[in-house]
Amino acid sequence: MTQPSKSVRIEFVALLAAFALFLSTVEYMIPKPLPFMRLGLANLPLMIALGVARNKEYALLSILKVLGQALVTGTLFSYIALFSVVGTFASVAVMLVLYHVGKKQISLIGIGVGGAMASNIAQLVLSYYLLFGDAALLIATPFLAVGLISSLILGIFAHQFVTQSRWYQRYL
Amino acid sequence: MKQIKIGDVIIITISVFIIVASLLLFRSVGGKPVLHVTSSSNTYVFDVSVDRIERFSGPVGTTTVEIKDHKVRVVDSDCRDKVCVAAGWIEKPGQWIICLPNDVFVLIEGKDEMEVDVDDTAF
Repeated sequence: MTQPSKSVRIEFVALLAAFALFLSTVEYMIPKPLPFMRLGLANLPLMIALGVARNKEYALLSILKVLGQALVTGTLFSYIALFSVVGTFASVAVMLVLYHVGKKQISLIGIGVGGAMASNIAQLVLSYYLLFGDAALLIATPFLAVGLISSLILGIFAHQFVTQSRWYQRYL
Repeated sequence: MKQIKIGDVIIITISVFIIVASLLLFRSVGGKPVLHVTSSSNTYVFDVSVDRIERFSGPVGTTTVEIKDHKVRVVDSDCRDKVCVAAGWIEKPGQWIICLPNDVFVLIEGKDEMEVDVDDTAF
């Protein structure tokens, strides 16, 4: 298979960013008991991109995801955007490390779970120091548990997608 | 899942461990009950683990509240029926005593409020 051209690669990032924007909208429609309890649907493109995007493209995609999510939820210029930034970059960092360290031993399921845990822990730490103090620790357990379950499901989905999608194979 | 790998299992195990640890670590946070007393539109907050006797003045006189051994009661009140005194000791979060004539409201607040019997807080 020939190496995809530059415009095709840009197209790939743009498509995944649009995908993240769409999933943010879907996620925004789902009622949640707490505003911070996110399913992390918008992380799906980031997981899918792991095998394809180069570091630069990946950074671009993460920024686009944060911006898109903030635009959809209308929180671009509020403290919530800060949580989004911190959570996303924590999970991106962990996912990249896990992907490159454990290529053979870790599938997208483990990567997704690790990323979600990193994101949630980073957000908990941030809310502990920035906003709520001790109250942040009270929601720690349900927050992390929901993150684990949703990221497991998303991870399985991403894994299936990456191994089966023909569209995806074109970019490998 | 047939494609699940050893690394996934390790990561998921660590995650579950973190969640359980957070449950054990943070369970006690904010769980300590406190006593709220509202009297003539002022609210006072007391620690139920410190024994003390407090007097609150209201429209008809003085209401005396006693905290002892994590329990709270109204010792005496200058009201007519003494319903608040008859209420006796309260100790669970969510329980309360009120003296309507003297405008004194005594409430224990805490995390485990839901565990109070239905009759205590049904409305």
